[in-house]
Amino acid sequence: MNTGFIRTIGRVNFIAILIILALAVAVPYGNLVAPPTSLVYVPDYMVALLGKFLTYAMLAVSLNLVWGYGGILSLGHGAFFALGGYVMGMYLMRQIGDRGVYSNPILPDFMVFLNWKELPWFWWGFDQFWFAALMIVLVPGLLAFVFGWFAFRSRVSGVYLSIITQAMTYALLLAFFRNDMGFGGNNGLTDFKDILGFNLQSQETRATLFALSAVFLAGFLLLVAWITTSRYGKLLVATRDAESRTRFLGYRPERVKLFVWTLSAMMAGIAGALYVPQIGIINPGEFAPANSIEVVIWAAVGGRGTILGPVVGAFLVNGGKSWFTGLFPEFWLFVLGALFVLTTLYLPKGIIGTVKGFWQARNARKQSQKDADVPKDTSRPATVEAPAE
Amino acid sequence: MKKLTSSMLYLDDVSVAFDGFKAINSLSLVLEPGEMRAIIGPNGAGKTTMMDIITGKTRPDRGSVYFDGDVDLTRFDESAIATMGIGRKFQKPTVFESHSVEDNILLSMSGDQTISSLLFGRKSIGEKQRIDEILATIRLDGLRHEQAENLSHGQKQWLEIGMLLAQNPKLLLIDEPVAGMTDAETVETARLLREIAKTHAVIVVEHDMDFVRDLDVKVTCLHEGSVLAEGPLEHVSANEEVIDVYLGR
Amino acid sequence: MFVRLVTAILMIVAVFVSPLLAQENALRPIIGEFAAAKKFSAVALVIDRLAATGDPRVAVPLRALSAGKLKFRKSDNAVFIVEQSGDQIILNDPLTGKPASGESVASTSDLKKVKIKNSLRRKIDTALSGLTLKSKSTVVRLQAAQTIFAASDASALTALDAALESEKDPVVREAFLDARASALLTSSADTAEKIKAVNRITARGDQPALALLSTLQTSAPAELKLAIDEGIDEIKAGLQLWSSAQNIWYGISLGSVLLLAAIGLAITFGVMGVINMAHGEMVMLGAYTTFVVQEAIRTSAPALFDYSLLIALPLAFLVSATVGLLMERGLIRHLYGRPLETLLATWGVSLILQQTIRTIFGPTNREVGNPSWMSGAFELGQMSITWNRLWIVVFAFAVFAVLYFILNRSALGLDMRAVTQNRRMAAAMGIRTPWVDAMTFALGSGIAGVAGVALSQIDNVSPNLGQSYIIDSFLVVVFGGVGNLWGTLVGAMSLGIVNKFLEPYAGAVLGKIFILVLIILFIQKRPRGLFALKGRAVES
Repeated sequence: MNTGFIRTIGRVNFIAILIILALAVAVPYGNLVAPPTSLVYVPDYMVALLGKFLTYAMLAVSLNLVWGYGGILSLGHGAFFALGGYVMGMYLMRQIGDRGVYSNPILPDFMVFLNWKELPWFWWGFDQFWFAALMIVLVPGLLAFVFGWFAFRSRVSGVYLSIITQAMTYALLLAFFRNDMGFGGNNGLTDFKDILGFNLQSQETRATLFALSAVFLAGFLLLVAWITTSRYGKLLVATRDAESRTRFLGYRPERVKLFVWTLSAMMAGIAGALYVPQIGIINPGEFAPANSIEVVIWAAVGGRGTILGPVVGAFLVNGGKSWFTGLFPEFWLFVLGALFVLTTLYLPKGIIGTVKGFWQARNARKQSQKDADVPKDTSRPATVEAPAE
Repeated sequence: MKKLTSSMLYLDDVSVAFDGFKAINSLSLVLEPGEMRAIIGPNGAGKTTMMDIITGKTRPDRGSVYFDGDVDLTRFDESAIATMGIGRKFQKPTVFESHSVEDNILLSMSGDQTISSLLFGRKSIGEKQRIDEILATIRLDGLRHEQAENLSHGQKQWLEIGMLLAQNPKLLLIDEPVAGMTDAETVETARLLREIAKTHAVIVVEHDMDFVRDLDVKVTCLHEGSVLAEGPLEHVSANEEVIDVYLGR
Repeated sequence: MFVRLVTAILMIVAVFVSPLLAQENALRPIIGEFAAAKKFSAVALVIDRLAATGDPRVAVPLRALSAGKLKFRKSDNAVFIVEQSGDQIILNDPLTGKPASGESVASTSDLKKVKIKNSLRRKIDTALSGLTLKSKSTVVRLQAAQTIFAASDASALTALDAALESEKDPVVREAFLDARASALLTSSADTAEKIKAVNRITARGDQPALALLSTLQTSAPAELKLAIDEGIDEIKAGLQLWSSAQNIWYGISLGSVLLLAAIGLAITFGVMGVINMAHGEMVMLGAYTTFVVQEAIRTSAPALFDYSLLIALPLAFLVSATVGLLMERGLIRHLYGRPLETLLATWGVSLILQQTIRTIFGPTNREVGNPSWMSGAFELGQMSITWNRLWIVVFAFAVFAVLYFILNRSALGLDMRAVTQNRRMAAAMGIRTPWVDAMTFALGSGIAGVAGVALSQIDNVSPNLGQSYIIDSFLVVVFGGVGNLWGTLVGAMSLGIVNKFLEPYAGAVLGKIFILVLIILFIQKRPRGLFALKGRAVES
């Protein structure tokens, strides 16, 4: 691998991506091959838990792309995640075939229960994996495109946009709770049997899904690293910091945003699609606005606008949640609330951002010590605070 | 196609009101190709609103605005007008704070702006040379890797002018370029603008009369949204009305 | 029209008064005595006893007796009003006249008619008119008229005519004339007169009139049927109008709830440009304050219960305003100029507040009672209006008026408006913007607390109470525009009314989704809302 590539995406990021790829091999090995007495043995529940975290991390990475780099605070990214999950759920429902409670070869159980006679048109094609795979990115992508086209065109931004995205996921939550929407109402889609012919209950399939999630997460990180170092990525950050400047330079910020917004929604969709087979259920609760806001805190804790921040944040916050809800379930909301408050007040750059800041400051100090011998560049300006808005 | 006017910028009888307040009132102004014009006037005279109208940020209620002879600017938005070749520097220096000086210039380069070319394109040799040229012009070549947020106020003003140059416009609108600058920086900026004016049409809005004198160009004085006086600085500054509303005695 | 209104109001009073009259239980045994009355004189005695109760409801069995329909079952001496259609024998309750469920007889031979003759019939008529139509109580007379109207009982005609001659009260006269028209329809009067009666009934325009005409529709002869059909159409059109009015009322009611929830948010967002995601929790705190106040009153001074809301109002304002002030000083102030971070931090606060309340009061709904003056409902024309909704509408407008006054007449309001329009200029003019921010936030939160007192009357008081309001409130603010109270008012009312008009067609959920889509489309046209501030300063 050439060093130019490593330098472009950053050495630390590169190592992290390698670690994630190593996990894709190590965890399935530890689960399937290593004996339970071994040090590297990974119990089944741990595979499921870590697999879930990986998909959460993917969701956080996709959110970070629009929020950290594009300045678009989405409070509705859970909607894209859930849509991807529902698409996957529809495929898995069709795979059940006649093994359902009502043994109907075409109709999923809930449709039989609701006395539906035939498959609604929007369920057509989901028995084919390639079609479902396409829809996993197309459905969230299309929703994001239409929504973003309207929103960015009319220059809706800041808190307006945030609340409207929240309203979007809220509307979907209400819609998916309805039985006549044809997505299983408040029970959602569940009782999946197999995926591409592999039994979803078998540990081999689960380990494979884990590995797949890790590979996708690594791919996402590479994608984000590549995008943010491209000229487009620089323009995206420029749009975040001074949108009107880009407009007066002849750019169309609405297109810049629409691209990253749609791409991010597709990534969230993929995350959701990998989440559902590992969890075994998708229901309208995934659309709850509170879920989407929680994703924001993952990215914030880890460090928005950094490549690895959202991954670190997703693992830390969710790890903390698992641990805490096990010990003191009634206190978790206090902790989560405090996390929101403290992170925004004292750790606005997040863990990775702060560490990076220290690191750069240290390097700068070293550099200036080196420079101490040579005559100082007196033209170097004092730092001037940007005037407040 | 025959051009409507031979001028670079042509404003005729332009008016705009905000909630009944007439920010621009029947304003007419003509700028010839290659001309540099200084605009002075008290606060609220409509200087910035005039720039908003030219750059498509504000639509006039009435009147016509033509660029480069026959382009009706009232029919286009900011991005389209910028692409046609009108660059604008804001009153408050607006640069991309989290990017390096060099990247600020790079992002300002005119060229293919489709998403795919932005994603896959690489910096060309020509672009590198152009960046070097511009950095030399605005005297920031020593700071090319510095983050823009670390620049001084005056340096940010220069960087923004450099970004306009990178945009390769036919007309530059420059709003208060020397506000907050030291005297030395002010002199340097006047020199920079005179240099730019050799190859571009320029409109400069400024309060600093010494600076305007330094520029040594035709001056337009705005008051309450319309032109109060126009001509060489000595002529304008001798105008009784200008003295009354703006310069003071 | 006015007369009808008064009639309607008296009817409601009647509902409250009737429990004062003889208990139903007291009437039934007397009616039962008909079964034992073997001689005319005995029957006459029972009639007298029934009339002596003074209860207008005895009209039903007495009229049935007069018509020869009052019979008793030989096996157990149970008395019924018996209707016969073909082979079918229908046993009706002797007091209500409604079908008696679970009662049956095999054939007519199982029943025996209570003895009746013309002299007894006259006795009944006199008793009835004296009892009901000529009662001293207006309420009783109206009720009697209503009963005859609904039953369309031709046998009451004579009594009605007699009563009309002496009736002075215009309201009651109208009711008697309505009842007479109804009774006329089942009598042997000629068609022309019946058509007149139909027109009179049509003019009532209410649900009972429609019900009456509908039952008569099928059996009416051709010419009369035409008039009835027209009447039904006319009443239906009128009722349609009334139902629109009812919908508008529901809309205004929903709108005033939205207004209460949104108005505090509107001023904080207007002045500070930040969204307080814990705004809904301020509402919740207000509701819980009401709960605590009511609990305290229940245990220590139950007599004050009717004043509990008035006591809770200032307390709720104080509680929420204090929490809001603490939030502003401790948190939001430090995030100034970072609206998105503010949004996240206040969300964190909302989680903490929710969990705190859950820990203290438990996760389940708490019971907050309606004071007596907020219970019940009344009818206005064909609309039904509940008192609590009415008071909340009144309250919402009062809060609006007070806020409007504060914003436009007080020094703080002047400062707030200045900061809304141009913060930097306001600061330059010597306005202490941090102080204005703190006061605005306290005021906005306090208003939310006050809203919580009102909402505790119609919503479940649970820790999740606030969550449902934040999105709706924000949509109101977006729709109405920032920095203008009128915008919030118009925004809240139009969203409320549109919502209620969509509901019957689209259902509550789809209606809500439709409104969200509408608002997203709306901000395409007016990104700054209906009542937007204009000018350069607003742009940045």
